Amino acid sequence: MEHNELFTFDNVKKSPLHSLNFSIKRGDNVMLFGPSGAGKSTLLHLFNRLSDPDKGSIYYLGKDLQSYSITELRKEVGLVMQAPNLFPGTVLDNLKYGPSLHGEWNSEKAEALLEAVQLPADYLDRSVDQLSGGEQQRVSLARTLANNPSVLLLDEPTSALDQHTTEEIEQVLEGLAIEQGVTLIMVTHHLDQAKRLGSRGIFLSDGEIIEEGNLADLLSNPKTEELQAFMT
Amino acid sequence: MSPEISNQSLLFLVVFVLVPLTLSYYYQLGLSKGIMWSSIRGTIQLFAIGYLLTYLFDLPAYIGIPFMLTIMITVASFHARKKGKGLPSVLGIIFIGLIVIEGSVLGLWLLFDMIEFTPNEVIPMSGMVIGNSMIAMGLALERLKSEFKENEGRLTAALSLGAEPKQASQIIIQRTLGASLIPNVDKLKTIGLVQLPGMMTGLILGGVSPIMAIKYQLVISLSIFSAVSLSAIYITLMMYKYFYNNKMQLKHMEFDQ
Ligand SMILES: Nc1ncnc2c1ncn2[C@@H]1O[C@H](COP(=O)(O)OP(=O)(O)OP(=O)(O)O)[C@@H](O)[C@H]1O
Ligand SMILES: [Mg+2]
Repeated sequence: MEHNELFTFDNVKKSPLHSLNFSIKRGDNVMLFGPSGAGKSTLLHLFNRLSDPDKGSIYYLGKDLQSYSITELRKEVGLVMQAPNLFPGTVLDNLKYGPSLHGEWNSEKAEALLEAVQLPADYLDRSVDQLSGGEQQRVSLARTLANNPSVLLLDEPTSALDQHTTEEIEQVLEGLAIEQGVTLIMVTHHLDQAKRLGSRGIFLSDGEIIEEGNLADLLSNPKTEELQAFMT
Repeated sequence: MSPEISNQSLLFLVVFVLVPLTLSYYYQLGLSKGIMWSSIRGTIQLFAIGYLLTYLFDLPAYIGIPFMLTIMITVASFHARKKGKGLPSVLGIIFIGLIVIEGSVLGLWLLFDMIEFTPNEVIPMSGMVIGNSMIAMGLALERLKSEFKENEGRLTAALSLGAEPKQASQIIIQRTLGASLIPNVDKLKTIGLVQLPGMMTGLILGGVSPIMAIKYQLVISLSIFSAVSLSAIYITLMMYKYFYNNKMQLKHMEFDQ
């Protein structure tokens, strides 16, 4: 059965998040924003069970998140962390890490992955500590894409990139969403970026959802003082 | 045999304590109390062990040896545990590890007729194996904790890519083992060149021929090398799991050193 609801948060508490009730539908591209320390990264880690709620339940495709195999879930709901956290070794070592865990690596994938994140193919054999911050961030994205996730959790994936590369990565993400039906759940500080990529917005502050809904509406007509203040 | 050290000459050892004592006083290092206390405590400990050993050496081997080994392994376990504060079950794991490692080494020594099953051979030799294993386990524990702390981001990334704890820990396990083994490989390389190992020195002073002393030293050095390697591997493989909960999530532990 097709579930319209991709994720449902039912009274979820996880310090410092207070009590979250919301759902994300198939085809939504969700932009999470809010001040530093609001709990955005904490929230993101709940989706692929890097941590679990203290109270309440999360449902994925209608079933309790707890009922899925953890490793399968994490491959399907991929995460790109706020820091690149690359493994020591070469770019190739990083790209094949996820698929190799299950013997699914196919070396032909490597170049396509690099191309997707706008890196030249000869980067495969480079050692990761020779890469710039922005390049590391892109390898980190490619490493997650290697698992072919159907949901992509992104924690400020372009924070270390220049304008030009940011736009290219945005195009890649848009392509994933439109062509491959990947659902994006993304933390971003840039409201312009949110507008370009998102259909839904969740504004988080102090561990609480202050406003959420259609992104364009949210940003054109902020109802709370907090969001108004955040936007200026 | 070389002449015995008389008690009077022993008294002049005080000179060796006075030197650091004076330095500490002169440069206001605040170590005077520590120096005095450690030298007195060390002296008493050594004499106590001396008398205990004399007594044990007179006991039948099957009583004296198990008795002393139990004491040594227990003390060593408590000591190594200090480095693993905050980790569950660590004392028991160390204790069992030391028993198995010491047991196997001793078994091999006896099997290949390298030493006799008498307290005066088994106890000092075992003491060296147990002591070094204890240090190796402590170092491996410390290293493991700091590696987990330092690599939290990478471990989280590995888990998020679908790695199981064992797979995610691979990098850390390698680094911990490497760090524990490399100094010992180096030690073995320079053995005898930089300094004569303690045991050999002791045997030569005691009147044993250098070649004989070297044979014993070889037995002990290689035994220690293998015991130390096993200790590091054992403790690392036994303990890494405790950094995760049963949902393949990293535990956030507070380690105060
Ligand atoms: N491992 C942790 N242990 C304890 N507190 C934590 C931990 N990680 C985060 N916190 C706290 O939880 C709160 C939310 O952190 P979180 O990283 O989710 O914020 P954020 O919205 O992602 O902020 P930023 O925009 O700076 O990345 C912060 O107050 C932080 O200090
Ligand atoms: Mg964050």
